[in-house]
This record gives sequence, C-alpha cells and structure tokens, in this order.
Amino acid sequence: MSTLVVLIGVLALLMAIVGGETGIRSFFSVLINTLLLILVAILISWGINIPIIILIFIPLKLVTIIFLGTHDYVVAKNSFYAAFAVCLMVSVLILFCQWCAQSAGLGPESGEILVGLSQMPGLSYPMIAVAVAIFSCLGAIAEAAVAMSSGLLEIKKHHTSITRQELEASGTAIGNDVLGTSMNTILFGMFGSFLSLFLWYFRLGYTFGEVVNEKLFVNEALIILYSLIGVLLTVPFSTFLLARGIGKHEVKNENRENNVN
Amino acid sequence: MKKRYWIALIVLVLGLCLSAGTYFLSGVYQKDDVAVILDKPIKDRLVEKNKDVYNNADETREQTLHLKILSGEHRGHVYTVKNVYYPSQLTTQKYRSGQRVFVNIKKNDVALGNPKRDWVLVMVLTITIALMIAMAGKHTIALIVSMALSWLVFYGIIFLDVKLNGSMIILLFSIADIVLSFISLLIVQGLNKKMLATWLATLLGVFVSFALCYLIMRLTGESEMKYEMGDYATQDPRGIFLAQTLLGVLGAVMDEATDIISSLYEVVKIKEDITVKQLIQSGRTMGQEIMGPLINVLVLIFIAEALPMTILYLRDNNSLGSTFGFTLSLGATQSVISAISIVLTVVFATGCSLLFLKEKERQGELK
Repeated sequence: MSTLVVLIGVLALLMAIVGGETGIRSFFSVLINTLLLILVAILISWGINIPIIILIFIPLKLVTIIFLGTHDYVVAKNSFYAAFAVCLMVSVLILFCQWCAQSAGLGPESGEILVGLSQMPGLSYPMIAVAVAIFSCLGAIAEAAVAMSSGLLEIKKHHTSITRQELEASGTAIGNDVLGTSMNTILFGMFGSFLSLFLWYFRLGYTFGEVVNEKLFVNEALIILYSLIGVLLTVPFSTFLLARGIGKHEVKNENRENNVN
Repeated sequence: MKKRYWIALIVLVLGLCLSAGTYFLSGVYQKDDVAVILDKPIKDRLVEKNKDVYNNADETREQTLHLKILSGEHRGHVYTVKNVYYPSQLTTQKYRSGQRVFVNIKKNDVALGNPKRDWVLVMVLTITIALMIAMAGKHTIALIVSMALSWLVFYGIIFLDVKLNGSMIILLFSIADIVLSFISLLIVQGLNKKMLATWLATLLGVFVSFALCYLIMRLTGESEMKYEMGDYATQDPRGIFLAQTLLGVLGAVMDEATDIISSLYEVVKIKEDITVKQLIQSGRTMGQEIMGPLINVLVLIFIAEALPMTILYLRDNNSLGSTFGFTLSLGATQSVISAISIVLTVVFATGCSLLFLKEKERQGELK
C-alpha cells in the first residue's frame, strides 16, 4: 500500500476521534477542496475561459471550506460573507499587481523539467498565475474569517450580556492574535513550499538584486503579501458583521421582553 | 479620524514614493545593467502559427525593441534587440513599451533579462504595512519585526544547510523550528505564561506528529514517494522534502495553538467558575471549528503551487494518474502530514491551557 494512502487513512481516523462529527465533515471539506483544485487544473487545461473559472470556483471553494468545516451555522454564515467580499477585493488587487509584475510561467530551471513537454501550450500563463495567486490566499482568508467569528462567538457564549462595544474591543484583541499568527501560517507555509528554490538561489550565487527581480521569488513574495492583505481586511469585516448581528438580536430580545411585560 | 489612520496614510504615501524610486533605480545592480524600452508602440510581428504534437495551437511572435541603456559603461547607448516570444508566456517573456528591463551586454551583444519587478514588491509591501497599521496600530511593529526576524533566521538556516551540504538536515530544521517558534511567539505575545503554554503546545504538535508520520513512512517503505520529482533539487531531495514538511507546518501549528490558547485564556478570565470539563469542551469546540479551515490553508498553498505544471502535463495529454504522480504527489503528502500535525495540536493546545486553570486554583487557595 502506498505511503500516501496510509497517511490519509491515519488522518481520517484522527480527525474522527478528535473532531467527532465536525472532524469527519472537515476531512471531507479538505478532500473536496483538493479535488476542486484538481478540477480547476483540468478545466483550464481544456482551454475554458480562466476568469470565468475563477469566478465560479471562489464561492464554491469558500462554501466547501467554511460550511463543511465548521458546525456552527452563525459562524459559517458570517465567515462566508466576510470571506467572499474580501476575496473579490483581493482578486482585483491581484489582477492589477500581476499585470505590473509580469511574473507568470515557469522559473529558471524550466528547461530541465520541460523535456518532452510542450513549450507552447496555447494557454495564457499570466492568467494562470492570477488564478494560482487567488486560490493560494483564499484559504488564508477563509481561515481568518472562521477564527475571528468562532473566537467572538465563544466569548459571547460564556458572557451572554456582552455589549456591542465590548465585543468590538474583544474583536480587536482576537484580531491582533489571529493576525500575528495567520502571518506565521502563510510565511512558513511558503518557506516550506519553496525551500528548494531558495537553496537553488543560494547555491547558484544569485545576488540580492537578481533575487528580488526573479520571476518565481517575486511571485512567491507577492502571494505572501496578497494573503496578508486578505487576512488584514477580514478582521474588521467579520467583527463588523458579527457585532451587527448581535445588535439585531438585542433589539429582538428587548422587543420580546417588552411584549411579555 | 484616529491617529493610527493618519500614520497609515503617511506610510502609504511614503511607500508609494519609495516604489516610484525603486522603479527608476538603475545603477545599484551588481551583475546586469538596466535599460528602458523606447518603442511606442513596440513592433510585434507574427512569425508563424504553430501547432505541436499535442494539437496545441500557439503563435511565435517577434518584438523589435530599441533599448536605451541607463547604467554601466554603455550608458546612453541605444541598441536594437529582437525578442521572440509565444503568447502563452510559459518560458518566454513579452515586453511592454516604456518598461525597464535588465540587460547583459557582452561585446555589443545585448541579452535581454528579467523586467524590473522589485518596485512591485515595494508597492505591495507598502499597501500591506499601511493596512496593518490601520488595523492593528502599535502592534504592527511587533508583527513586522517578527516577520523580518523569521526571514533572517530562514536565511541563516539556508546558509548553514549549504555549509553542512545537506547532512543532518532533519536535526538542523528541528532546531530551526524550536528557535523560530520561540522568537515569533515571544515578539507577538511577550514572555508570559500564555506564551510558554503556546510554545509547549506548538513543539508537541510539530514533533510528536512528525515522529508519527516518519514512523508511518518507514513502515510503509516510503512507497510511491517520488522524491526525484521535487523541483530545484540541489541536494538530497528526500532530506529537502522532510525539511520542507518540518518548516511548512510550523506556522500553522503555531497559529492554531495561539488561537485555541488565547481564546481559552480569555474564557478563563471572563468566566471565573469554569470547570476542567467545560474548558476541555470549549477547547475541543474551538479546535473543531479551526482545524478544517487551517488544513485547507496549507493544502491550497502546497497544491496551488503545483498548478501551472499540472495544467501543462494535462494539456499535453498525460493521464490524470500520471500527472498526479509527477506534479502533485509530494505536495499532497506534505499536506497530509501537516494536516495530521494540525489535528493533534488541538489535543496538545487544550491540554496546555489546563495549566491556566491550575494556576488559578493556586491563586484561589492563596486568597
């Protein structure tokens, strides 16, 4: 049996034990999410219009990550709205910056890998680079939205009489922690993903000036920054949405009490 | 308007000036000279329409560029260069008029290099920092210092690894994990009980699960692990894969441990009479909410990275199975190992936050 299959089996088991029903759902959310990404690759390779694919798959992937991964409906709904709005904003930024940076395609080692592969695939690699950037930061945005919403709701659960101002203050506090550490997930995820590339630069004696103008490095650094911008925008958005929701609830409760009186 | 918004605005304006400065910067690069493309518009000639063995239709086009050299000994000279590109721009580059590019001049022969991209980095970095100041205020300094130190330590590790020539790579990256997590948590949270509990949970999460996965890999004989498909391999690819896994998951585990522990800490602070059972329940609920999205973050990073190659393989009529083996299997394995760490961290983080309760009991007894 292959190593990957055994590892996936162990993961499924652990997620079921630790997470219970939510864990099993999370497992399928990750699985479906991966399959969706492979589906994106297949559709693009068929030559289907890439912007349309991006627009369809952003909400699709957000729904998979957020609604399947969390069991609290209020958390999920809030996270989804915040994440979707932020994703669209970040997509516009990515489109503009990728146009400026012109960092599409494969890197300096490409000659070696490309033996036997077409160098003229007839697909727009600049557009593919945009798709890669958007899908890379989508996860970080969804994660930040869920962490914010679930953290705030947990406080609300244990402290039922919390006011909107108090909740916003707590939101800023949690936001700072989420921010500081989302940064780590993104940064180290990228380090882990591109370690061999950095070793390559180092061993081949690239100068600093060359590295900061090199296609793949610029692409990577930009993806880190897009993700950070996404997370930064998510913090106030989710706090705002949740605080607004609470405001409405309070009004409703008061109304009901008044009616009873 | 709050003070931090003003500071953010000032940083934004300064940063945009700096980006413009970087755009026009030309004399500081060691190896290459900078040139500007004079043509408006660029003469762009269709050489031929191509169709390859896979039935992919593409074009070969040729740009005629007039380059004015801006730095080095050929400064002020104008050269005419032809650039052949394919519109897919997989390995070729299409240049734009007015753009600044790097050139390498040897005996009147001009070789075109990368377009100047450093200014885009400065611009986007500026936007990020300005937003960070607007959202987090003073906290930004800690975040930026932590990020800069991480890059510095990362550079140091690469330096050490090249010096050791890839030997003891697992030990090196384990130590790197310990140091990096300590620095990041120290800067963001300061030295206190909460931070130490988070650090402990992080290290347990990374190393226990890495040991478990390594054991599984050895027991299954690392079958179907195509280490040789790792890109840019300059040393033992298996070592690089393990090091990448150790490094890649650290941030996510740290993120999760911080989320769970700082939320539980708030809960313990707000609700005075919470029991061990309730706290464990709270931790488990938080963990359940967070682990799915967090695993997705890493999966997306590791798999989206391979997307351009995957699309190319599929475009060239490879079957889904062989494409997966060539381009995605290493990323997928890395994702699964990271996912296992993330799941186990829920247990460790909740366990470590029980320490707060113990501490509270002791304080209660003292009173």
